[in-house]
This record gives sequence, C-alpha cells and structure tokens, in this order.
Amino acid sequence: MLENITVSSAPHISKPLSTRSVMIDVIIGLVPAMAAAGYYFRIYALILIPTCVFSAVATEWLCNLIRKKPNSLGDLSAVVTGIILALSLPPSLPIWAAIIGSVFAVAIGKMVFGGLGANVFNPAMVGRAFLTASFGMMMTSWTVPATIDAKMPRIAPENMMHSRTQATPLWWSKLAIKNKLGADVYSNAQFESTFTGEVGGCLGETSAIALLIGGLYLLIRRTINPSLPLAVLLSAFIFAAIAYLIDSDAYVQPVFHLTSGAMLLCAFFIATDPVTAPLTTKGMWIFGIGVGAITMLIRIVGEYPEGVMYAVLLMNAVTPLIDRFCKLVPAGGKLK
Amino acid sequence: MRIDTKGRFSFTGGTHPPESKTLTSESKIQSFPAVKQVAIMLSQHTGAVCRPLTRKGNTVQAGQKIGDSDAFVSAPVHSPITGKVKEITLQSHPVLGRSPAVVIDALPHYPPKRPDFKLKDDFDENSYSAEQICDAVRQAGIVGMGGAGFPTRVKIEPNPRLPKETLVINGCECEPYITCDYRIMLEWTNQIIAGIKLARRASGCSKVFVGIEDNKPQAIEAMNAALNTCADSDGIKVVPVKTKYPQGGERQLIKAILKKDVPAGGIPPMIGVVVLNVATVAVIAEAVIYDSPLTHRVVTVTGEGIANPGNFYVPIGTSVAELIEFCGGLTEEVVKVIIGGPMMGIAIADLTTPVAKTTGAVTVLTKKQIGAAKFAGRQTPCIRCGRCLEVCPEHLNPTKIAHAVKNNLLEVAENYYINACMECSCCSYVCPANIELTGYIKTGKTLLAGQKESSPG
Repeated sequence: MLENITVSSAPHISKPLSTRSVMIDVIIGLVPAMAAAGYYFRIYALILIPTCVFSAVATEWLCNLIRKKPNSLGDLSAVVTGIILALSLPPSLPIWAAIIGSVFAVAIGKMVFGGLGANVFNPAMVGRAFLTASFGMMMTSWTVPATIDAKMPRIAPENMMHSRTQATPLWWSKLAIKNKLGADVYSNAQFESTFTGEVGGCLGETSAIALLIGGLYLLIRRTINPSLPLAVLLSAFIFAAIAYLIDSDAYVQPVFHLTSGAMLLCAFFIATDPVTAPLTTKGMWIFGIGVGAITMLIRIVGEYPEGVMYAVLLMNAVTPLIDRFCKLVPAGGKLK
Repeated sequence: MRIDTKGRFSFTGGTHPPESKTLTSESKIQSFPAVKQVAIMLSQHTGAVCRPLTRKGNTVQAGQKIGDSDAFVSAPVHSPITGKVKEITLQSHPVLGRSPAVVIDALPHYPPKRPDFKLKDDFDENSYSAEQICDAVRQAGIVGMGGAGFPTRVKIEPNPRLPKETLVINGCECEPYITCDYRIMLEWTNQIIAGIKLARRASGCSKVFVGIEDNKPQAIEAMNAALNTCADSDGIKVVPVKTKYPQGGERQLIKAILKKDVPAGGIPPMIGVVVLNVATVAVIAEAVIYDSPLTHRVVTVTGEGIANPGNFYVPIGTSVAELIEFCGGLTEEVVKVIIGGPMMGIAIADLTTPVAKTTGAVTVLTKKQIGAAKFAGRQTPCIRCGRCLEVCPEHLNPTKIAHAVKNNLLEVAENYYINACMECSCCSYVCPANIELTGYIKTGKTLLAGQKESSPG
C-alpha cells in the first residue's frame, strides 16, 4: 500500500474544472447563435460551421505534428475558433474561402505563437481579417435570410429588394449618415428584425436574442467576467448616443448599434477570449471601452460599416500594455 | 435569547472547496492509548532549533523539559511520556525535511494523559500577573497551534514599540476535513474562555473577538452560552464570519472582523492586533493554571482513505503510522497521506514522521478526491482566464508570479509581490489548466531567500 503513496506540493485537491470544460461552456453558449444561423440561413450554416470547425481542428492537429508537440485537440479551443470564425463570415462565402480562413486563423493566429495561451491576437479574428483583406467582395455580400421573401422591411435600398443579396442593417445606417436618413432606419419593425435575426449579416451575428441567451449562459456559469461585455456594450452605447444626440437625423438610435452587426457576438464571445484579453478587472474595463469606442468610431466616421474585427485586433495588440498598466495592489498596500 | 449564527463579514477573494468535515465533526475527542515510542522533534516552531537537554540512555518523566534554546524566538519541548531516551537522531520533518529529534521508548505501564480538564472554581485571571502568564506560556513551550507555530510568548508579551489593543481568537478552521478546533470549542469551551482571559491579561488587550465560520453554528452557540454564564466576559465577543476558504488566515480574519488591512508582508501587531488559535488559548489555560507543558494535542485523523476517522488527544511525537494504525489502517486506494488538510497540508512519504505541536490533522486521500488530472500532474497552458486573480485573498497576480518563477525571472516575481503570498493554494485549486501555481510561488520564495542569504553585504 505504501508504494502507492505520492507526494506533491499543496493543494492536494482541485476544482473539477479544465480548459476543456471552459471551452465546452463556450460552445454551449454558442448553440443559440448556431441554431439561429441554421434557422435563418439554412444550408449555408449547415455547410459553413462544420467546414470551419473541421479545418480549424485539422490545422491544429497538423501543426502539432509538424512541431512534434503532443496533441492538443482535447482542449477544444480549435473547435471554438472554428465556430466563432464561421459565425462571423457571410453566409454565402464559398467553402474554399472558409477553409483558407480557418487554416490561417489556427496556423498563423495561434500555432505559430506556440499554441493555446501564447497567441497575441484572437485567432478567429485573424482568420477573418485575412479573408477580408484577400476576398473583399465575397466578405461583403450578404444573403437574404431564408425566412423572408420580398417583404423585408426598408432596411435594404429599394433597388436591392429582389436580389439574392441585401445590405446589412449597418450598411444601411452607414448610407443613412450620408443621406441624413438615420431616423428612417430605426423603426420598431427593423429593431425587431435585428433582435430576432431576420436580417442580412454574418452567419451568427444577426440574432440579438440568441446571442443574449448564450451570453447570459456564460455569465451564469461564470465562464466570463461580466466586466468585459459590460464595458464593450456600455462604451459602444455611450459613443453611439453622443453621435445620436449631436445629429439625430444622420445617426441611428444607440440601441440599434448594440443589436446589429457583430456587437453582441463580440461582447460575449470574441472580446472575452481570455487568452487575448487583459487579466485584471480594471484592465478588462479599459479593453472593453477600447473595443466599444473603436467599433463605434469605425461605424460612425470610418469608411467601413462594421468595425468590431479591427477593434478587437487593435485592442488585442495593446493587451500586454494594459496588463502592465493595471498592476494589482496587494491587500494591505505595496510591500516596502 | 436566540443567537444569530449567520456570518455577515468576510474578505474579498477566496474559494469554496468541499468541506468534507462530516467525516469527523461528530466524533468526540478520544484519548489515545499508551504509545510505545515518541520522537520529539527539536524544531516544532518558527525560530531557533532547541538543543537537547538529555542524553541517550537517560530516563525522562512525563512533562520533563528535554530541549530548549536561549534565543528570543524559540520554545522548549517536553516529553509527553515517562520513558528512556533511545537516541537523539534525525527524523523526517514535514517542512524542514529532516530535524533532530529525541526518540523516547515508553516505560511499561505508564498510563496515557487524558484530555480531562477541570477549571478551578475560584479561577480568576487577575490573580496571575502578566509576567507570570508570559513565563508560564514560555515554559510550557506553547506555540501557535493553527499551523505556523510561532512562539506564543513572543506574540502576547507586551511590546512598547507595538502596543496591542485587540485580541482576535481564531476558531474559523476553514481548511477542509479538519475538525479538531471545532471539537475543542464544543468540548473545552470553558478552558478556551479561561485561556482567552489569561491571554487578554498578558497582552493588555481591551477588546477580544472570537471569529468562527458560520458552518459551525453549534460552536458559535456553545461559545456564546459559556460567555453568558461566566463573569468578567464583557469585552469578549463571538463574531460569526462567512464560511469561505481561507477565512482562517489571520490577515483575512482581521479583515472580516475589524475591517482593517494588515500591511502587505507585515504582521498583525503593526496594527495593534494579536491573533491566537482556539487550540492555543486552550493550552494557555492549562499551562498557567496547572503548570502543565504542551505535550499533547488534538489531532483529526480523517479522509476517505482511512477506515475509522476521528479526533484524538495524542502525545506529541507519536508517529503518523501509529495514528493511522489505530484508526484502522489505510484502505487499498490511498494515494496521499497529508499532514494538515488538503489545501495547505504537506504530503509525506515517510509515515514515521512524528506529530508536532502544529499538527492539527492527518488527512488520507484516495485518487477519487484528488482527481485524475491532479493525480497525474497534467498541467496545460495558462489560458489567462484570471480565476487565480479573482480568488487570491492577497490580491496578487498568481499566474504572472508563477510563470516568472518558471522562467527564472525572480526579479519580475518580486516585482509582482511574490513575498506577500501566504500560500493558501486558492489559485492552484481553481486553475482550470491545473497549473501548480502555489508550488511555483513556494519555489520562487525559497530561491529568493537563498539569493538574499548568499549575496554579500
């Protein structure tokens, strides 16, 4: 019996928690958004999500093989990267482009840095940025949700009504800034569509309600720190409100900015990627405010209709600085 | 009057490991049968190692002093049994690795000491002067019995530079599995209160708070009831605190009760506070009133790997092996024998390790409690989730410090206040990547201490 006794440093028990269980929580949190994607974009979702997940996982496996490192697929982080990337892609993106994006996300976004925990940028956003830079047209063509025909509310410009593609709510709000039509864009019907997801947009970003349910799940499970989504949403809301107060003709209502585009997906699932976000609560506030502010800056004054991806990547780059800046003070003050 | 046993105060951070106290919480303190041999370690406390006062072949009496030191921070050791000194040799020590110890073979027919203690009816702490109490505490070799083992005389003695105002009695017992302090509070209530009064008199404190976690309502009620019936207990107040690990850390207890922070890296006297464990004040009463040295203590022998767990009044120096044998031996699946509890205790491989003054428990765990990943020592990369920062009761950045130590960047670790860590293990406990943060931090502290020692000037 004695030969079975082992020694190690305290503690001798640990909370039943693992990187894998954290990732499983995130995947469960993404289920409502995936379901909404399936409901609104049907076959596109069915193709895109598995494609991205499979290529992300295969890339990680291959990278480990080349690096002669132990297999790390068990932590499921590649699955999460694949799902988030898929949900942030236009539904009709060709399969080969999705594969390129996933391979780039995992190989260049994560594995070249040394794998999970060592990457500087959010892998899914790296993949998406690569696709945006390479295939600009494909990345901005939006499919009409399967549930609507021509009765889509006035979100799309008149001439695009019957086409296979339509403009996203954010595209229209961008147009509204030029034409001073902000007030027109925001009606109850349109707000409802961004809430349910019956609008054009990336695969998993259209349905605010699905993302809120998933986000709530992560908050209840304490998988994510509430400070981060709160900071992102609050700062985006404030900047949108400032613009709205300055010129309510040109700019849409602030709530519209929260429910449309990738804002909620970002607040709950992208910005909260622990590896690339700051460690301290204070740091999370700075990071979140930065993400919200840069997104709104791009949406309101920038050339692009959506800025979440750039906002996250830019803030990822300063995360190490934020961490250094927000050094914790020990209980009882600094050591002498 | 109904007593409110709900704790309202705590500290920020901390975690909730499974309490696992029901294994032994209803087990009364039993006296331990006569032991055949004890090994009294000459270093059972913080401070100077004792020098032996006896030689091989000598006969020693129960209660006889067998080791002492002239150093200020030290405490003598005594023999718990009457017997013959077999040898003075090196013995496995849970913290130091090896420590000199006096091994005594018991003489036959020597009856074991019983845990009975009867408070004298005419007990009045004012009949003892502060010096008398301090001397008795020193002579009895009393040290902090909660774990750190700091000589108690040094703590309670009046110090003109750091005047003491508040005495905090620690009855939290936040460490999972352990129930020795709980049983003492239930069974030795009057003795504890006598000890509190003596410690109050010796230290000159005006206020006394007894902090007890609210998962022990019976202890809170027992202490309150005893205080209500005894005289001169006006300044003594029982404060229920929230059940959260590590509520029993002295800095965390002070924060919960007094809402004050002890300076980081500092000690409670800096803000006029003395913290004593309930087991320590109980032996103070015994030492002062009956001149009885600290030779026995209550030890919880517990864990899923032990056949008959319980609380025992054990002679100090008894080997862990003997304790385990008395409790029915180890079961097949045992993988860890721990001196102390599962959060801060020290795993031992050598079961001849003797019980010290600071040994509150022997916890025997099987693979099931430890968990497969922990048992295999499987550590995955840090995903920077920040859970370790959330639970750290000292508000440190455990992952930063641990990874600095791992990469041999000791100055970075120091910069992130590695020395403010009290090694409570909350960070390692919650880490999803199963990283041994506390282990790295302990290593870093040892390396830093070594650097300081070897640097000239």
